This record gives sequence, C-alpha cells and structure tokens, in this order.
Amino acid sequence: MNSSPQPSRPPLRSVLLRSRKRTILGFDPQTLIKYFFGSNASVAIIVLVLIMVFLLREGIDFLPTYQRELQTYRRAGLEFCDIIDQPLQRNQALSSSLRQAVSASLETLSKSARDRRDAAFLLKRQVEDKTARPRESLTQALEKTPPAAEQIEVMRRELREASASAAKALSYPAFFSAAEREQLQREFAALTPEAADLPPLLQTLVAEFSAKDREARTKFAPLVQAQEEFEEATEPLQEVVDQIKAKALETKEKAVEFAVLETNRQRLLEAAATETDAKEKASLTKEAQESVSEAVNLEESIKEITGRTAELREQVEKYAVVIEKAAAVLPKDAGTGAARSLVNEVREDIPLHAREMRAAAATLEDWRWDKPVSIFSVIGAFFFGTQWITNSSWQDFFGFVPLLAGSLVIAAIAIVIATPVSVVAAIYTNQFASEREKEIIKPVIEFIQAIPSVVLGFIGISLVGNLIKDVSEWSWLQWVPGFPIQERLNMFNAGCLLAFMAVPTMFSLSEDALNNVPRAYIDASDALGATKLQTVFRVIVPAGISGILSAILLGLGRVVGETMVVLLVAGNRIAIPDFSSGIGVIFHPAHTLTGIIAQELGEVSRGSSHWQALFMVGIVLFAISLLVNWCARAVARRFEPHKA
Amino acid sequence: MKIAFLSLVTTFAAALSLQAQTTLRIRGSDTLGAKLVPQLAETFKKQGGKVSFDIAAEGSSTAFTNLASGTAEIGMSSRKVKADERTLCRSKGVSLTEFEVAWDMITVVVNKNNPVSDLSKKQLLQIFAGDIKDWSEVGGTPGPISLYTRNTSSGTYKDFIGLAMKGREYGKNSQKMAGNEQIAAEVGSNPNGIGYVGYAYSGAKGIKIVSIAGSSPNPAAVKSYPLSRPTFLYTNGEPTGTTKAFIDFCLSSAGDAIVSKAGFVPLSIAK
Repeated sequence: MNSSPQPSRPPLRSVLLRSRKRTILGFDPQTLIKYFFGSNASVAIIVLVLIMVFLLREGIDFLPTYQRELQTYRRAGLEFCDIIDQPLQRNQALSSSLRQAVSASLETLSKSARDRRDAAFLLKRQVEDKTARPRESLTQALEKTPPAAEQIEVMRRELREASASAAKALSYPAFFSAAEREQLQREFAALTPEAADLPPLLQTLVAEFSAKDREARTKFAPLVQAQEEFEEATEPLQEVVDQIKAKALETKEKAVEFAVLETNRQRLLEAAATETDAKEKASLTKEAQESVSEAVNLEESIKEITGRTAELREQVEKYAVVIEKAAAVLPKDAGTGAARSLVNEVREDIPLHAREMRAAAATLEDWRWDKPVSIFSVIGAFFFGTQWITNSSWQDFFGFVPLLAGSLVIAAIAIVIATPVSVVAAIYTNQFASEREKEIIKPVIEFIQAIPSVVLGFIGISLVGNLIKDVSEWSWLQWVPGFPIQERLNMFNAGCLLAFMAVPTMFSLSEDALNNVPRAYIDASDALGATKLQTVFRVIVPAGISGILSAILLGLGRVVGETMVVLLVAGNRIAIPDFSSGIGVIFHPAHTLTGIIAQELGEVSRGSSHWQALFMVGIVLFAISLLVNWCARAVARRFEPHKA
Repeated sequence: MKIAFLSLVTTFAAALSLQAQTTLRIRGSDTLGAKLVPQLAETFKKQGGKVSFDIAAEGSSTAFTNLASGTAEIGMSSRKVKADERTLCRSKGVSLTEFEVAWDMITVVVNKNNPVSDLSKKQLLQIFAGDIKDWSEVGGTPGPISLYTRNTSSGTYKDFIGLAMKGREYGKNSQKMAGNEQIAAEVGSNPNGIGYVGYAYSGAKGIKIVSIAGSSPNPAAVKSYPLSRPTFLYTNGEPTGTTKAFIDFCLSSAGDAIVSKAGFVPLSIAK
C-alpha cells in the first residue's frame, strides 16, 4: 500500500483562498454576489415605492381639481337648483307608489280581461315567430314588381300550412273557452303578412279589456283622480326649477368652456414650442391664438338666478299646499290590501315631503354663491359622498360610499363562505387524512388558484347566476330572505365565486399554521389521554389560531382586490345596497372599487377629474390592501405560540 | 454626408409607414366595432385589399384617445366628437376628419314575455330616470323594473340621455353593462328587464322590441324614429393609402349592402 502524500495537488483550503484574491472592478466576487442578491430583494421594495409614488402623483391632484369643480358647481348656481330639485325627486317616488296602487286597484276588475288579451297576443307572437321564414319570403315576393303570381300562391300555401301547424301546437291557457280556442287557432292559421287589422277575436279581447278598464276607472275614480292631481301638482314648480336649471347649466358650460379653451391654448402653445416643422408650428400658434374666449361674469348670471328666489319660494309653498290637500282627499279605499297600504304610506309621507320642501325653500335665502368650498368639504364629498355620477350633463359627483359598500358586502359574503370551508378542510387534511388523501386534496385545492379569474367570471354569468335564480324560484325555499331573486348578476353570485378563489390561499396558510404547532403540544395532549378530537379542538386549533386568523385576513385581501369576477358578475349598479331589505340585500347587484376602475379608466381622458378620481379610488384600495396585510402580520405575531 | 443621413432617415420612415399601412388599427365604439366594421373589414380583405385589421371596440371615447396617441388609424364613434376631444387630438398634432357611415337606431327592448309593447316618450324617460319603478305603472305585469344601460364610455349611453331623457341622469337602480350583447342577454333572462341596444342586436334571443310612442325602429323610416342617430368613422387628416381605400369601400354601394345586412341603415336610405 502506497500511502505517500500527493504534494503536487494544493489543499482545498488554499484553492479557496486563492480565488478570493481575484477582484472585479475593485470588488471581490463574494461582495459582488452579496450585492447582487441584495439588489434583487430591494427591487421588490423599489417597485412598491414606485407604485405608491405613481398612484399618489396621479391621484393627489384630485382633491384640488374636485374642489375647483365643486366651486364651479356652486358659483354657476347648480347647487342652488339642487336645493329644490333634490327633495322634489321624492315626488316621483310617491307618484310611483300611487301609480302602483291605482294599477293594483284597477286590476281587481280588469285583470282577467287583460290576461286574456295579453295571452292572445303572446300566442299570436309565438305563431309569428315560428312561421317567420315563410312569412318573410312571402313578404319579399309580394314586394317584387311584377309579382310572380304562381310563386306567391305556393308561398301562401306554405305559410298557411306552417301557421296551421304552429297554431295547433300552441298550449292555450285555461281561461279561453273551447270555442274561443278553436277560433283563435283558426285565426292564427289564417294570419297573412299583408293583413293590417287584428283578427276579430283579438279585437274583441282588446275591446273587452278597454271596457273593463273604463269600468274600473269609474269605480276607483277618486283614487285615479288623486293620483293624477298629485302628479300634476309638481308641474308649475318644476317649470320654474327647469328654467333656473337651464340658466345655471348655461353659465356652467360657459365657465367650463373658458377653462378648457384656456388649457387648450396652453397645450397648443406648448406643442407649437416643440414643433420643428415651421408650417405646422405656424398653424398651431394660429389655432392657439384663436382659442380664446371671454371669461364669464359669474356674478351677473348668478344674480339672474338668485333674483328668482322669491318666485321659487312662492311656488314651493303653493306646491306644498296642493299636495297637502291631495293627501287629505286621498281615498281610504283601494282595490287590494297591498294598494291600501301603499296609499296609506303615501298619505303619511306627503306631509313629511311638504315639510322637507318648505325647509329646503327656507335655506335658499342663506345660500351664498361666493362661499368658498373648503378642502375638508371636498374630502368629505369624496369619502362620504353617496353618489358616483360620471359623464353627466348636469354635474359629476365622485362619492366613494356606494363602491366601498359594494366591495365590503361582497368581501364579507366571500369570507363567510370561504372561512369554514377552507379551515375545516385544512384541519381535516392536517389531522385526519391519510397520506394518500393528502396527496390528492392538497394539489387539487391548490389547483383552483390556476383558474383564470375571467374564466370564473364567465362561469358566474352563464352557470352560477342561472343556478341561483332557478333555486330561488323553488316554492319550498321561499322563506329565505330575498327569494325569489330578480337579478342573476348580484353580490351573492360574486361572493360565491370570490370565496372559491380565496379558498386555496386560506387553505394552504391555515394548513401551514396547523403544521407549525409544536409536536410537544400534541404529544403532551396524547399523554394526558385526550382523544384525537379533543387534541384537535382544545390544543392544535387554539395553538394555530393566529395562523388561521392571518390566513383569513390574507384571503380577505385577495377578495377585496379581485377585479374581473366582480366586474362581470356583481351587476354593476352604482348605488348603496338597500340594507332595509335585511339579509336579502346580498341578492342585489352592486358596483365595486376594483370594478369601477376597470370599467371606467379605459375611456377617461388623462388628467381629467374623472381620471384622478379613479386613481384616488386606487389609492384607497391600495391602502385597504396594505392595512389588511399589516393586520394579518400583526395577528400572526400577537398570538405566536412560544416554540417549545 | 448630411444628405445621405437624411435620405436614410426618410427611407426608414417610409418603410415604417408602409409597415403601418399594412395593418389598419381601428378603435372605438362597441356598437360599430362588434359587428359592422369587422364585417366590412372581412369583405374588404376578400376583395383583394392586402391589409390586416386590428379592431378593438370598447366605447366611442377610446376612438379619440387612440387617435390622439397615434395608436389607431381609424376611430369608430357612435356620436359626434366632443369639442374637448377634438382639441386634445389637435394638441397632439392630429386633426380629425369625419365620415358618416351609417345610421343606427337605439332599440328599447324588454323580455319576450313582457306584455308591454309600447311606451310613450314620457314613460320611457321616467323608466330610465328611475321614476317609474314597477311594471304595473305602465300597464305590465306587476314587478320591479330591472334597468340595464351601457357603461359610461359608450356613445350610446350619452346619446340615449340626449335622445330620450332630456339630459336627466339614469336612475340609481340602473345596471351598467359592458356591451350590447350583455344587455340583450340580461333582458332575455329577466322577465322584468328593460334595456336598449343597437338595432343590429334587437333580434337576440328572448327579447322583443318596444315601440316608442307608436313608432317602431324601421330602416325605411329611420329619420322619424325618435331614437335614431348617425354613426361615424374618424381619421387623422385626409385619409391616404389603405385607410382611404377602406373608407371609400365603407361608403360605396358594396359597403351599403353590408351595412344593411349588419342591421344598420345605410346612408343611401337614410338620406
């Protein structure tokens, strides 16, 4: 055995040391590698900071811009008009209730006649739909000059046959007598494209209905009359308001035009300054010079508006007196219970409405056109505003509350659904499942994450929406609040899909949290003779609760920020959900913070107030996400079990 | 040397513009861009136009933002250009040229099973402004009205305010849908739904047309229908090359045939 050393080969240590001596640009490679790794980590932080800076840069100007707009809104007198116009909208709501009461009352007499008429028309339509093709070719043939008589004959026969078979195949409602059914069938079979008059039986049905309707109208004459009077009561007042509104709008448009032209002039001049082509430069400069308009004298035009205050107040007073009188003569009797309660509601609401109108009119005197709009009221108008109205011909309002409410309700629904599912699944997988089951469950749940959200959105429109709607129509489920639902695109639908999307995040993190529970806890519990269930619920879950809570919070963050699904599925109604309908509110449509950005950002012109408002929404959304994530971390730290 | 450099630059620019001319980028209105313009483009290509089309339709406003930033050769709009949009384009060195291509009729649709088949102008206004909330108020089967409108980027959204609503706002209960197809789908599936679509979409499944004050949308009487409006194509300056060829094709009689097939009213009939 030759055990002599091999001096020709240097020891490993010296090789390593030698390599350290080499330097690149004055740094040794180890430092460079360290910096490289460090820079990669800091890229994420830099990008985050850049995002924040970008959002703030675009969005922060919103407050002054919106302040300017609200200032114009006040100075041009639009606010003055809205003082009266806004409470006057209530009249429409009350009229609507009365109209419903009237129609419900009339229905008691005319419903059967109307149903018969409508059913007959529906049947006729069905026949026409089924025979659309022969009908159309016959119509075309008839229009040809000269008409081909033989061809037309053939077509007529075809149409007759098609109509006859279609009429035969119809299912006639029971309220048509046998003779009527036969006649309808005969008339439908004989339908031709050139007949302008309705078939005789249909005419009879129409006449029957109008007779019944007339009879009902005489029976409920006081109610019908009261409704008409109430609706007409607003007309003189509305006329005055409309005149003032037109004037205010004209002033505003002039003021806005002036501002636009002014900025355009600047823009054109800037473009001219950078333009190299002499001819183009000259034309741009010329255009800039032309783009001047006279500034509006707001004070003059506002005088015209406030000058009518007395007239307006007088009209409001007249209106209030008229509707109070109408409330007094509103008949106690209506056709149905529902109609009666509607009428009673209106009777109670009218004095309130009149008082509101008088109070509004009283504030007109104190209104000052030149009162400055403070920045705090602008902040309030954004964060607590209840109207999001854009692209309006009257005034754009950027109120944040309807969008926030929609987002929050949807997120709450999603979390309420996703939490039990994902936490229970995590407990099962972690504690009870066999290795084989784990191998199936975990990848499958994590696979959900790979489904693109736009695909889920389509599933929501085409499948979940119809499913919820169908289920809501089952008669034995009618005790559920909100059933039967009206809209298939609603917050519940969106919430379900978002819950589905949040499950993988929440499941994986909860499972990790349970995994992190120290082995010693479990062993100690086992040693004390606890059953498996006791160990799980008394030891493991409490020990892992911080992780589970932060998993739920991170799931919430995912849900709040999700866009595509809510845009497609939530129904996009920009209004604060009507919480007065109780828990059934979850079946109403809503709009969301993310959805509004996706829907409107593409079309607004850069730098406009609308554009900035959307960035403002983005900033708030960003802040919410940061807050949720920070909470998740705080929770995780707060309840961190002491590692045994 | 300088001349050589300049000529190189111009050749390069010419090559670039040639490159750009072979693809026509068309942006703007969903009403025009979903059916009509793609069909026109298809036929234009078949006729031997060596050109490829890139069409995106997300609302009329996008026509002008794209034209201004130079990311489109042709803009489609279902309304006239607004003054501020024109100046925005102008400040970027883009002067808009307008071409009326066809007339469209905004068609009010309800669910097929809704007995209501005619609405007065006032009723229409009140329904879309949210004053009328229940079908029983206009003689229908009692039930709350579900209101579907286009979203705010749509030219139809704004046109409808002008044509039917005397400048009033849509009711708070309105739901803003992304396109004509979605409105048709929702109205078709909701017995209490009402909405409006371009005439070309009024044949969709499950919906029926409501006449307005007795007047139904009818190509032969487009001017007398209260909700009809012209639609436009916009280009940067006087069109040249392929853009011109395509616009000329749209306005030719062959184009007219496609226009009426797509459910719009060609100018020859509207005039």
